[in-house]
Amino acid sequence: MSNLDNINPPSISSELGRLHPINQTKDYLLKLLADIGFEEVHGPEIETEEFNFDMLNIKKSHPARQMHDTFYAEDKQNVLRTHTSPVQIRSMLESKPPIAFTSAGKVYRKDDDATHLPMFHQVEGIYVDENVTFANLKDLIHKILHELFGDNVETRFRPSYFPFTEPSVEVDILSENGKWLEILGCGIVNPIVLENCNLDSNKFSGLAFGLGVERIAMLKYGVNDIREFYKSNLDFLAQFK
Amino acid sequence: MKINYQDLINFLSEKPSKEDLSQKLFQLGHEHEINGDIFDMELTPNRGDCLSLNGLARDLAVFFGKSNSIDLFDGDIEPLEINFENLSPNDCPKISFLEIEIEDSKVEYKPYLQNYFYTLGVNKANLFTDISNYISYELGQPTHCFEGESIKKKLIFENRECNAIFKTLLGSEVSLKDRNCVFSSNNEIISLAGVMGGASTACSLNTKKVLVECAYFNPESIIGKSIKYNLVSDAAHKFERGVDIASQEMVLRRFAKVVQDHAKIKSIKLKSFTEGYKQSPTIPIDVDKINKILGTSLGRNEYLKYLKALNFEIADEIKVPSFRHDIETNNDLAEEIARVIGYKNIRSAPINLSKIANDSYDNKITKLESLLVDNGFTEVINFPFTSKKKKESINIDNPLDSNRSSFRTSLKDSLINNLLYNERRQKESIKLFEISDIYTKDIEIKQQKKLGLIVSGRLANNYNDFSKKLDNKYLKNLLIKDSTEDVFKIIEINRNSLDTKKKDKIYYVEISLENIPKSFFSKLRANKKAINFVTYKPVSDYPSSTRDFSFSIEDLGQVNKVITLLDRVSDEMIKDSFIFDFFKNNKTKIVKIGYRCIFQSYIKTLSDEEVNAKVQEILDPILKIEGVSIPGM
Repeated sequence: MSNLDNINPPSISSELGRLHPINQTKDYLLKLLADIGFEEVHGPEIETEEFNFDMLNIKKSHPARQMHDTFYAEDKQNVLRTHTSPVQIRSMLESKPPIAFTSAGKVYRKDDDATHLPMFHQVEGIYVDENVTFANLKDLIHKILHELFGDNVETRFRPSYFPFTEPSVEVDILSENGKWLEILGCGIVNPIVLENCNLDSNKFSGLAFGLGVERIAMLKYGVNDIREFYKSNLDFLAQFK
Repeated sequence: MKINYQDLINFLSEKPSKEDLSQKLFQLGHEHEINGDIFDMELTPNRGDCLSLNGLARDLAVFFGKSNSIDLFDGDIEPLEINFENLSPNDCPKISFLEIEIEDSKVEYKPYLQNYFYTLGVNKANLFTDISNYISYELGQPTHCFEGESIKKKLIFENRECNAIFKTLLGSEVSLKDRNCVFSSNNEIISLAGVMGGASTACSLNTKKVLVECAYFNPESIIGKSIKYNLVSDAAHKFERGVDIASQEMVLRRFAKVVQDHAKIKSIKLKSFTEGYKQSPTIPIDVDKINKILGTSLGRNEYLKYLKALNFEIADEIKVPSFRHDIETNNDLAEEIARVIGYKNIRSAPINLSKIANDSYDNKITKLESLLVDNGFTEVINFPFTSKKKKESINIDNPLDSNRSSFRTSLKDSLINNLLYNERRQKESIKLFEISDIYTKDIEIKQQKKLGLIVSGRLANNYNDFSKKLDNKYLKNLLIKDSTEDVFKIIEINRNSLDTKKKDKIYYVEISLENIPKSFFSKLRANKKAINFVTYKPVSDYPSSTRDFSFSIEDLGQVNKVITLLDRVSDEMIKDSFIFDFFKNNKTKIVKIGYRCIFQSYIKTLSDEEVNAKVQEILDPILKIEGVSIPGM
């Protein structure tokens, strides 16, 4: 073969881009929940105290409402939402049970250190119907965790405290190195919250859960430093194909 | 809160091992870490009642039984005549005072008191303050010790407007502002109630007579004060979470007992003031409701047995213990039951919902994402904060710092910063995008979902595109397929005002998704890839080193072999490699291949020698091929 015309040039593979690992993880969680039957609802990141706190039974004296924990905006007329729960409140006010909603997106807390960022992402879900029990919540959480971490993952339900759920638990999984890792918070919707949304708490009950997207992404990808996600470093982002 | 295991088991009738204790603490919802004998407890804010040995033991009693070993002073106590007025019983519905005088303040601490300071690393102050701290550890009720001779005039508790400098007993000065609950005497603030006492009435090593104040303050009256005045206060931590409103006299009898263990008491007097005391709530007995919440099938007797073990009084209704401020409803009681039986013992029951199809809202975004990812764009997510304040900006009242005091009104600055950051990291072909809600204000707050994208540098790292640049034309081809849909305004960003020495032009597009016509989306595919959770490799922060090689191949039969060998080059030290030039010289019948190799280590800056050695390794097999050379080498 000595003819130049017969020589094939090297092949060119066009380089694909990629979505941000946090959005990939968020979309994955939303898809997982949509497959179970949860519909995504949307709402604003700039909220009012009423929707972010009052409607969720977070009292005026609750530490989370202090200026050192929550960003206030526009002369205290607004707050940057501290969770995606107010989206669920807005949606519940406009619907009648049975309802199964997810809300996902950016949330804000007044933090900035090695393990906390002023902005991070949550995926939350709520299901309200007649006769929803903790047994239902337990089954649902196991479904989610088995999907995420495999059927053999060992879980621990640890009593906790959130004003908007009662009972409230945090769920841990046992990691490979034998340590329990906190994965999500959940509980039975506090009847006060249902009443705030004009739902009869004697007739209806609900379950709710929330996951930190960064936390799940860190565990699934093995990223140790949460700040890496927000440096916009192509060497970092290029890995999440 | 740190607790010594040895102290805690003294309060339990069974003596569980540390492992058993730890497991049950977790079951009850009390997170902790263990270091030797010390349990570092992280309690949820609703469980102020557990912030002591006695409190934790009360909760653990359901598993291990509680020993009733709190020794109280059982002698006679005279009534105290005290000139005191409570001007704000709403903030302080219950307060007791114990006046106690001892013969000698120079005492040797008994082992239990000595150990408290030794094992938990608490600093000693003086006998009465030390006992006060110990009692708080043991029973969870803070007390404050006023030097017995220091208050000559009427003592007043009030919630009032303050504008004064207050010197704390630890010596720091705080400037009190707005309304605060304070104790005052002779027009001087002598204690910031529930937080910290003042220097002027503090006890010393010589104090023989003390006035011990022991109160229930409403959590709402105390909350936020220690943070506002930057005072680290165990008392405030406890009052904010609620102490036992029924325990003050018992606590003072315990105080007196510890004093008695250490010194001869000359006189002891007590007086309590109660006003507006709220009785603990009662809840109807309704085991069906509990079962309905938990999905259990608990019997009535079993239910009540658990509640009794948790100190609830059972009569016609369930009476909540005075220290449990967190219990008001059947949902609260359901949680109590779940803690005792353990969540792992509650069965699972599936819910029946049907699968939801993707909605159109996301479809738009998915289509844009697919278009951009297929064309080599990388998505970024930026914090929305900026120092640039515009008329329409949403302003943060309490920003982390002045550089982050407003919400961004555009994605542009963030994306320019992302571009420059990656240029500094030696990236030569950059295509980034971000899709985010942008908030601005007019009459009301306006929310818009926007797409921003930025490009600069080489078109791509291959021999066709290496010498071409990302430009206006590239973006036009990508976005504007039909002139009627020309909604994308491509702008060039001037580098003059940027902190950069690079020359490549920067092009930028920003658009609100609602302004993109439907017809544009109809031409796009929504291509959602399944996620692949790859294991991430830490990014190297060491500089990279680039080497270019120009191979000259005279034996055309060897061209494929060279390309194959170059394709196979792979090494820990090689971050990237590609053929950037491929040229067939028709005159000389020689093929030229330009090859770039970028070296970088995860652990150090590579020396020239190390790179050269690696280069030799790569080149050797190629240069051994007949008719292949690198001219000039």
